[in-house]
Amino acid sequence: MLKTAGLDTHAANLYNPCLIARDVWFSYDGHTHILKGINLMVERGIMTMILGRSGSGKTTLLRLLKGLLHPQKGSVEVRFSAAGRIPDRIIAYVPQHLGLVRNLTAVENVLIGCLSSIGTIRSILRAFPKTAIEEAQEILRELGLSHKMDEPVSALSGGQRQRVAIARALMLKPEMILADEFVSQLDPVTTREMFVIMHRFTKRGVGFLMTTHETDLVADYADRIVIMKEGVITYEGQQGGLSEPEMIELLG
Amino acid sequence: MNKSKTVKRLTVRRFVILALLILITIGLWHIGLLDVAQWSLAAGRLREFSCGLFPPQLNSLPTLAGAMIETVEIAFLGTMLGFFAALPIAFLASTIFSGTAVAYAVRLMIGAVRTVPSILWGIIFVVAFGLGPAAGTIGVAFYTLGYLGKLYYEVFEGVDAEVLEAVRGVGCSRLQLMLYAVLPESANAILSQLLFMFEYNIRASAIMGFVGAGGIGYYLLGYVQMLQYRNLLTALLLTFVVVMAVDCLSRKLRTAILPANPITS
Repeated sequence: MLKTAGLDTHAANLYNPCLIARDVWFSYDGHTHILKGINLMVERGIMTMILGRSGSGKTTLLRLLKGLLHPQKGSVEVRFSAAGRIPDRIIAYVPQHLGLVRNLTAVENVLIGCLSSIGTIRSILRAFPKTAIEEAQEILRELGLSHKMDEPVSALSGGQRQRVAIARALMLKPEMILADEFVSQLDPVTTREMFVIMHRFTKRGVGFLMTTHETDLVADYADRIVIMKEGVITYEGQQGGLSEPEMIELLG
Repeated sequence: MNKSKTVKRLTVRRFVILALLILITIGLWHIGLLDVAQWSLAAGRLREFSCGLFPPQLNSLPTLAGAMIETVEIAFLGTMLGFFAALPIAFLASTIFSGTAVAYAVRLMIGAVRTVPSILWGIIFVVAFGLGPAAGTIGVAFYTLGYLGKLYYEVFEGVDAEVLEAVRGVGCSRLQLMLYAVLPESANAILSQLLFMFEYNIRASAIMGFVGAGGIGYYLLGYVQMLQYRNLLTALLLTFVVVMAVDCLSRKLRTAILPANPITS
């Protein structure tokens, strides 16, 4: 069992968290610490938002939680809900600019989500199992993209691309989706649509952890709020615990 | 202070231009191009030669057409063989697919292949395959491999890091990463450079025959050596027409396939 620092195992069991960060320290160059002793539990089935100014370390934290970076001190634990799952598929990661393959169609981008479960020969021949193709189409249909499935991603609008990115993440059947500044490029109406979609999936038990610098987004859509400033968590609590002016004050 | 800096820079520039002129003059003198008598002699010979070119001898056209087709074949097959070999080798040379040590070793190899011009590869493969288009084709393929191999791994290295991260994040293998992220992201550049390579290889194949590696070059050289200038003109005109046609075709193809404006994310 991992050593706990600031968190006791009992509390961890109580909340059924999916991700647990324990006293995480991180630095890119070995001198300046971007993260200074982060303790965080992220739960399934809710929308958690990390609010912070640029440079507060929120993207770095997200990348550490996905396992793209490794902490110099402390640990990140992924809690499996069922045995035998591939860690990469439990935690899905959507980077800030989405990381979609622009020359591939929407449905092909979603199918990338199932690559790890098909063999080398099949992937060279591009012979995806029929069930996987149907599943990808079903997800896109549910996200309202049935008419855009076979269009290259480069021809889609901003909101449509965000849906494709979420669809690719959902293809993994993840328990947690980490999204970096996810809706920051969208207009308010499209943003609302995206959150309605995400809310549908939190109800089914998928957790979302999203970074943002916009307090109104947090006030409107977060179930749980984490505020970061200069590499430390300065506030953590349920929605409704803070007013927007208080958030702004905590942001510094 | 500022002014003296400007003056200094101008002086340096004047000195560099002067030095360059002196260097060129010495070079020209050294290879004998400053000899006026030589120039007038050359002009006379050139006049004689160009008179001998006309009118083009059309009897040789059927033979030459066959040789020209062979030249296009050498260029096409050589380009294709080189292309299909260059893709996996460029995979190996990219740090996305290979470890750094392997990638740099493969890059060194690609560099070595590229230093040998295609005509020299032709000579090498005439030794191996004997006279004929097989040697020319393999020769063109090797040069193409060296050239496209380098261009392609450079394109691969330039693929958006976020796309790689996102696709890696789903837990796929390195080969899957190359096939589903790197190749599609590089598709436009791959195609565009392939077409350029084909244009270049048509010209390279036209002289493959100089070393007996097939195609129209054999006749070009033969007519010069046997002083059959009217036949030579026919061969030159044919080569010119075909090269222009291929250039035109490939330019049309490029604009048809590739989007006019670069895709923005």
